[in-house]
Amino acid sequence: MIPATYRASFSYLLRHPWQLALSVIGIAVGVAVIVAVDLANASARKAFLLSMDTITGEATHQVIGGPSGVSENTYARLRVEYGVRAIAPVVEGMISVDGTSLTLLGVDLFAEQDIRSFTSQAQSADPAAPSDETLFSSFLITPGVVTTSARTAEQLGLAVGDTFDVVADGRSRQAELLATLASDASNNPDFLLVTDIATAQEWLGQAGWLSRIDVRVDDGNEAALDQLRAALPDGTKLLSAAGRTRSTVEMSKAFMTNLTAMSLLALLVGLFLIFNSVNFSVLQRRNLIGVLRALGLTRRQLLAMILIEAGVLGALAALLGVGLGIALGEHLLELVSRTINDLYFRVSVTSISVEPFSVVKGIVAGIGVALVAAAVPAIEATSYQPRLALTRSSLEHRARRALPTVTGIGVVIMAAAVLLIVVSGANLVAGLAAVFLLILGFALCVPLCVSFSSTLTAPLAQKLGGTIARMAVAGIASGLSRTGVAIVALAVAVAATIGVSVMVDSFRGSVSAWLDKTLQADVYTGALRGAMDPDLIDAIRNLEGVEDISTRKRAWVEDASGRTQLRVFDIPPEDFGGAELLDADPAEAWPAWQARDAVFISEPFAYQKSIGAGDSLTLPTDHGPREFAVAATFQSYDINASGVMMSRKTYARHYLDDTIDSLGLYLANGIEADDIVAQVENLSAGQQRLYVGSNANLQRESMRIFDRTFVITDVLYWLTLGVAFIGILSAMLALQLERAREFATLRALGMTPTQVGVMITAQTGIIGLLSGLASLPLGVVMAFVLIKVINRRAFGWQIDMSIAPSILAMSVAFAVGAALLAGLYPAYRAGQSQPAIAMREE
Amino acid sequence: MSETSNEIELRGLCRRFREGEREQVVLDGIDLDVRRGETVALRGRSGSGKSTLLNLIGGIDAPDAGSVTVAKMELTGLSERERTLFRRKHIGFVYQSFNLVPTLNVADNVRLVLELNNVPAFQGSTRIDELLDAVGLADRMESYPDVLSGGEQQRVAIARALAHEPAVLLADEPTGNLDDATAEAVLGLLDKLVRDSSHTMLIATHSQHIALRCDRVLELHNGRLRETTSRPQ
Ligand SMILES: Nc1ncnc2c1ncn2[C@@H]1O[C@H](COP(=O)(O)OP(=O)(O)O)[C@@H](O)[C@H]1O
Ligand SMILES: [Mg+2]
Repeated sequence: MIPATYRASFSYLLRHPWQLALSVIGIAVGVAVIVAVDLANASARKAFLLSMDTITGEATHQVIGGPSGVSENTYARLRVEYGVRAIAPVVEGMISVDGTSLTLLGVDLFAEQDIRSFTSQAQSADPAAPSDETLFSSFLITPGVVTTSARTAEQLGLAVGDTFDVVADGRSRQAELLATLASDASNNPDFLLVTDIATAQEWLGQAGWLSRIDVRVDDGNEAALDQLRAALPDGTKLLSAAGRTRSTVEMSKAFMTNLTAMSLLALLVGLFLIFNSVNFSVLQRRNLIGVLRALGLTRRQLLAMILIEAGVLGALAALLGVGLGIALGEHLLELVSRTINDLYFRVSVTSISVEPFSVVKGIVAGIGVALVAAAVPAIEATSYQPRLALTRSSLEHRARRALPTVTGIGVVIMAAAVLLIVVSGANLVAGLAAVFLLILGFALCVPLCVSFSSTLTAPLAQKLGGTIARMAVAGIASGLSRTGVAIVALAVAVAATIGVSVMVDSFRGSVSAWLDKTLQADVYTGALRGAMDPDLIDAIRNLEGVEDISTRKRAWVEDASGRTQLRVFDIPPEDFGGAELLDADPAEAWPAWQARDAVFISEPFAYQKSIGAGDSLTLPTDHGPREFAVAATFQSYDINASGVMMSRKTYARHYLDDTIDSLGLYLANGIEADDIVAQVENLSAGQQRLYVGSNANLQRESMRIFDRTFVITDVLYWLTLGVAFIGILSAMLALQLERAREFATLRALGMTPTQVGVMITAQTGIIGLLSGLASLPLGVVMAFVLIKVINRRAFGWQIDMSIAPSILAMSVAFAVGAALLAGLYPAYRAGQSQPAIAMREE
Repeated sequence: MSETSNEIELRGLCRRFREGEREQVVLDGIDLDVRRGETVALRGRSGSGKSTLLNLIGGIDAPDAGSVTVAKMELTGLSERERTLFRRKHIGFVYQSFNLVPTLNVADNVRLVLELNNVPAFQGSTRIDELLDAVGLADRMESYPDVLSGGEQQRVAIARALAHEPAVLLADEPTGNLDDATAEAVLGLLDKLVRDSSHTMLIATHSQHIALRCDRVLELHNGRLRETTSRPQ
């Protein structure tokens, strides 16, 4: 049986279902956003790890080589001469079937048993199907036979025995589906096409070369590892499999951290919201609380009552939020994995996996937020003397008296934020914490500003619109204990949108200027994956109208410290302006780069490693580790922080690889880029499929990917604004409830419903305007911190900040619009106030 | 009594309230004429329907049957908006709980009514000075209601109710929230101001003091109105 005191208190909430619903929705949306982001991140990561685990199998170590891989001979020698049994060769690459990207895994079934069991476990429901042994031999004998998971086969519309086209290395190949593979909890061969090693080598154009050699060594058997290491030729390395996976996942960490921060922002706005509604519901029950206290309820009992109520509400909202979050997570996952695919590594996630940990986090956050938000008003309410009525005006007095203190605390918190930024060096999480402190500190200053400005503008309002206008303006300051928090929530949400919009806009401007400078050739063409056909390169070079070409090769080199991307260029000297050198004289740096063992490093790489021009850098080469001089740091917005720019000549001295993956074509005067594009397309048709595009095309495409990356940011900040909108709506509704008698009196005095409604609408409009204006300084400061601190720490690049006035104007307009919209229903309700209420006694 | 000098005319007025199954007849056929300049006390026990009757006369509520004519206007046929405009022009209210607008200072509380009636600003200011002087609060014009005592608040409410020279002043237990001495003072003031400007006033009360000051005393009982000619002892 619920005690009568609780029922007395709770039935109040039930009699105001609107308010109850809005505060539950507010917390629920906040919780939903963090759960969704968390689930999307975790699912993407989990899917990636699972697919990595599947591919890695039981291998504990991997033998890797330089850009071309590991020679087949190395494998033969290891297996035969050193008698390492648990060792398997792998050829891996990307291919596509009908536009769907798949990982091609070329294996040697004889060597697989101890590494990957799934590759040889064909699944067949059909008893008439060939036996495992028959399958096994056809796999070895027949070129072009592949296996994949049943789910992937179904998605591609393939049945066992079907033949289909595979595009590998830009060329079309015929494949036949031999069988489907079993999947279980630890093996998920989705989006994986398994074939014999010889087929894979042929398709990917790497005859004689392996991508790597998988090795399985018993735990702690250092001797075996040492022996193996000693047997490896120069340029090949033995690395831990787990470490390789980890460093790949690490790459996306900054991106995921930023997303998490965005989701916390929505919860923060949700915190304001629940604070607002709990505060309000406590204030409105001050009479009830007075009565209960007079009847002998202790402070502790009262506190418990309010907190339990908030906890129940929080739990309810959190459960709802988790449900919403899972649904929302499905959509975010698509955006997250698309971005990860665009920027970092391949991940194919088809459905969200509901991690208990994420769900628990969401529920704890929801209940926690509700309790924290309830604590302040609960403590205040229990401090009341047990008398029956604490008048509204004396409450407002208390609220107003507290303003200077609250503002003071806010200023201190903002100062702490600045301090944190200064002392935390390059720590990203500390930077994000500083952003939150900044928001919190600023939020505490907003009420005083609003109070000031509404007091200051009240006489002006009187002049412009008479006593009714004055009432509208004065009502804001006097209702501050009610509307203050909602105003803060709106201001914070709008400030966040300003901060993020200015950041994205500045970023866009910087990237666009950078692309314009970097892309100097008139036409670009290259292999979709892998290397370009050398004959095709010659044919393109000899095209009429092509004056000069630059070549590029992107190669990954790897050692125990991680992966580094080499961007190998052969550029005509006229084009040296293409890279903006930040810390060296181009006249000296370029010749050094061209001729000697000097490299340029990208700005993010320099930031990450704390090195620059004049330092040196050790890179793994095909002849073992070598030291290179850093001649300069170049500006780069490439997401891969690990960029090293190397001249073709230097590369040729250290790596056994002469492949080229793309070309820049410089055209003679008067030659149309589009003509050359068409000619290159003609040349490539039937040989090797290439991408071809004019300079303008490539810039446009790059910006499209850039914009796509920020779609998820947009989604998150619209959700944040949505939460703030709910906040204003519920605060205005609650205020309207509170002031019912006042409105009734105005109606009795002869104000029409329209006049009352217009007054409330004007009031919310002004609230929106004040929130919007208050959000400007915070928004600009947030943009500054996002650009100069967060982006720098997360990605290492520097962005030129530019504030488009239109963003600021739009944000203020949005705040006004949102507030007006939120004010419509409360205004309507206020207009409908029954004047008879004024007669009724309290 | 000629028809034309009646400020308030009620004929067969009925008002019922329904709460779920239960129906309560609060006013059950009220007939009343109040002449211009007359002050009438309306007595009755709590719950007898005094406020309900004042609401009907003030155009706040509409009757279930019968007619209300105030200042020669028949209210029964009017729309909600027309009743609002009628109220704005012809009625002044004084409540038990004052009901000043908390966000407006004393002067602005009075000004609000003048503005609603489109009284030009300069004319309004003179009127406000005059009224607040009359209720003895000329020096509190800038004060907000929350710093005024109950008696002072009610004096502002009286100034506000009379500001636009309404045809009828309706007061609902105006001294119910005041102590005896203050009540007496407020009442004296109300009486004086109403008589000075020969307003018509209907005042709901259970106080005998008030009844003593009025021209007529009516008693509301079981939904019907009874004239008590005998003054209470
Ligand atoms: N809006 C309403 N809904 C239901 N009953 C009402 C309403 N207004 C008044 N009443 C009822 O009408 C009766 C008379 O109320 P009221 O006029 O306020 O009495 P008085 O002012 O004489 O104390 C009371 O019993 C009250 O419960
Ligand atoms: Mg009453």
